[in-house]
Amino acid sequence: MAHEGSVFYSRLAERGVSRRDFLKFCGATAAMLGLSETMVPTIAAAFEEASLQPLAPALWVNGGACTGCTESAAQSTYPNIATIVLDLLSMNYIETVMMAQGDGAEEALQKTAEANEGKFIMIYEGSVMTGLEGNTLIIRGEPSLKVLDELGPKAAAVIAVGSCAVDGGWVRSVPSTGQPGIPSNPDDWCTGVSQYFAKKGIKTPVVNLPTCPVNPEWIVAMVVDVLLLGGLGEGAPILDKLDAYGRPKLIFGQTIHDNCPRRGHFENGEFVYQFGSVEEAKGYCLYPVGCKGPQTYTNCPIVRWNDRVSWCVESGSPCIGCGDFNWVDENAPFLGRMRQVGVGSGPNNAGFNPATAAAVAGGAVVVALGAHAAGMAATGRLGGSADKEKGGDK
Amino acid sequence: MVRAVIDPLTRIEGHLRVECEVTDGVITDAWVSGGLYRGMELVMKGRKPSDAYYIAQRICGVCPISHGHASTMSAEAALNIEIPDGARLVRNIIEAAQNLHSHVLWFYTLAALDYVDPSKALEADIAKTYSLAQAAGTSTADFKGVQAKVKALVEHGTKTGNFSIFTNGHFGHPAYAKDMPAELHLIAVAHYLEALEIQAEASRVIAIMGGKFPHFMTSIPGGTAWMPTEEKLDDVLYRLKRVNEWITNTMIPDTLAIAPYYKGALAYGAGTGNFLAWGMFAKEGGQKDLNARYLPGGFATGLKVEDADPGKVLEYVEHSWLSEGPSGLNPAEGKTVPPATFPGYNVDDKYTWAKAPRYDGKSTEVGPLARMIIAYLKGVPEVKTIIDATLAALGAPGKPEVLVSLLGRVAARNLEAKVIADWALDWTLELAEALKGGDVKFFTESTADAGTGAGLWEAPRGAVGHWMKVENGVIANYQVVTPSTWDISPRDEKGVRGPMEEALVGTPVIDVENPIEAGRIARSFDP
Repeated sequence: MAHEGSVFYSRLAERGVSRRDFLKFCGATAAMLGLSETMVPTIAAAFEEASLQPLAPALWVNGGACTGCTESAAQSTYPNIATIVLDLLSMNYIETVMMAQGDGAEEALQKTAEANEGKFIMIYEGSVMTGLEGNTLIIRGEPSLKVLDELGPKAAAVIAVGSCAVDGGWVRSVPSTGQPGIPSNPDDWCTGVSQYFAKKGIKTPVVNLPTCPVNPEWIVAMVVDVLLLGGLGEGAPILDKLDAYGRPKLIFGQTIHDNCPRRGHFENGEFVYQFGSVEEAKGYCLYPVGCKGPQTYTNCPIVRWNDRVSWCVESGSPCIGCGDFNWVDENAPFLGRMRQVGVGSGPNNAGFNPATAAAVAGGAVVVALGAHAAGMAATGRLGGSADKEKGGDK
Repeated sequence: MVRAVIDPLTRIEGHLRVECEVTDGVITDAWVSGGLYRGMELVMKGRKPSDAYYIAQRICGVCPISHGHASTMSAEAALNIEIPDGARLVRNIIEAAQNLHSHVLWFYTLAALDYVDPSKALEADIAKTYSLAQAAGTSTADFKGVQAKVKALVEHGTKTGNFSIFTNGHFGHPAYAKDMPAELHLIAVAHYLEALEIQAEASRVIAIMGGKFPHFMTSIPGGTAWMPTEEKLDDVLYRLKRVNEWITNTMIPDTLAIAPYYKGALAYGAGTGNFLAWGMFAKEGGQKDLNARYLPGGFATGLKVEDADPGKVLEYVEHSWLSEGPSGLNPAEGKTVPPATFPGYNVDDKYTWAKAPRYDGKSTEVGPLARMIIAYLKGVPEVKTIIDATLAALGAPGKPEVLVSLLGRVAARNLEAKVIADWALDWTLELAEALKGGDVKFFTESTADAGTGAGLWEAPRGAVGHWMKVENGVIANYQVVTPSTWDISPRDEKGVRGPMEEALVGTPVIDVENPIEAGRIARSFDP
């Protein structure tokens, strides 16, 4: 347990971090990892211990990325990005912010991997670009796949951040449009890290953190769990906490709908049918305008975004299911209603209206949705086909 | 004559290679190569216009707001939708917040390490640092604590070989200004750390109004899904004020304090001298009218300005790997087809995934420098005032031509941040007033299902255009010309260099093994 007045706390104080701030951060981390508050002292002690050790080396590698996940990480507040890269990890390679360029940067990448084989964390952002034999992403004159081929096996673990790194993300939906020059098999255009490792026989464990971009609080939680609570290697705790898709169960175990603050409006049959309406101003349920919250498994309503100031549904937009696998093909049209829960209809579809349905049939819609959610969880339907109405979009 | 190569060019968004020919310490030729092709334009086909708004943001995680807005405006142009005035103001504020976020992030996180040497900060005298900060009119910080932090990092690195983001950094590089005092290096390092919080604060404004950043949720075709309340606008205003004060009291004085040590950078890095802006921040009617914008559209060459015409844009593919199909198409009819087999990197033939857009046949720069020059020449009062004051401070009063240089490109971005930071406060108060009136609207419903249109707008890094063709309610063709496509453009069909390539030529390089001067030029475009 860390004590006030310890070297650790005086160091934090030097950096403008009070003991209260620090414990707030430990509490947030415990909540994220699904640990009870009694674990806060353990996390704090782990930090104190870690602060006496050399910083753990990490490499942040960008594949076919928009850099949105790096940007997202830079929006982290507890701890902020400076603390992550200066006090938590030694991020020896991260293209978007590192000082070195060109050969110097490449040397930092190679030397860190070599000197810390089996000990460093690789954070991978972006799609694994397999198209045109890997030439759709060229770094230093060679396909970027080389980095995964050569350094992937040396990493202690890979954290695949964002939907692109998890399964190719939106880029994987390019082949489904069937156009000249694009292969018909999506695997021949791009893929995710875990699928690529499976194909190449690379055994390094992969933790998948989907959504577009990744929520930075999840990265922090993983780093804390992996580095400070000993979550690496065979039989280690973190691996037992992953679901069949390599996602931390505690973050991706429930749907948005399960935790949505607007759930009460859903149950009362209070819906938004049009943007800019009185119902929208009142913060009613966005299900008729396309919300994919009922089938999207993340804890966004709890963790929220950007220092927790808001999140998608609170801003008035339906969830577009960016944490889903193959999320664009699965969930577009984003403003179109899902079919299975669609016993009613918004203004875009002929049929009857869920508000009326709820008023008349009481909880029938709610029961249907609850059964649907349970069914999805039971059958693992996340990797399945689209279940939404075609059309019905603006 | 030797080749100097930077690959990867770090501290930018995306994957870029810069190859230079250096003769007697000066760059005499250059080739810039964009390394990534994902197929964004193709993924749009057959989807709804509103889907494009969400997907298009994933072009760039640093400027998703601008791509979202350009996409949604292309849908509104194609389907002939007029958005209500409330939505116009909401979008302007969100766009402003992203610009503030991006410009702060660019100057401190991405660019500063080319001008500021953190190892020099260790030599600073703390008392002198406070005096210098006061003399320079910039804000003070816990300079002692910051110096201790740098020291701890260096000690850790020396012991373990792990210097985190400073591993293999170019400490003590001879291209750093030799006469810049250690105290100024320390001030800049302290503000480098503060900037991380300020850029995040600007992003929180976007998150309040758009759900999250990067990739926001609310500017759908027709208006905005966000419904402001007075309380939320108070929160937005508080954060925008905090960012504004920091830009005013820290970023601008820092720029003016560091600039004199790099005055040599007024003499090179000019580029092609052709500038394009589509304009941004709509006034009433400014969604479609490029002149009805706070920062107006325009094309300038030889410091003479005319109105911008999207019909004059043609894209060439002779030196691009995306070379299937005809060259010289306007984006409204554009094609993007990847090759059947990869042609390989060859600077004499094809060497990049980027196409070469040209305006009226000219290799044309976009970005804050283009916007500031065009706004200056068109007489936008706020821009004229701040540029004239800066020219006087740099000892070149009444000479806007000095802005056409590396230092000018850096300064233009930071000055623009100040202009936008002031406007953002005005628009927030305007929206709060409108809200009190009670009849402000935020969304227009539409049932149109066919048409063609362009969304012409600006990202922090320059002019962005999205062209959309809708048939039977779905997208039949979609083309994007990003700001970086203009600036990192390869040679065109006549062999004329792109703007970044041209700006590199003439730049002095001390160490061809690590040409940070070339990095400065490339980063000055914020590619």
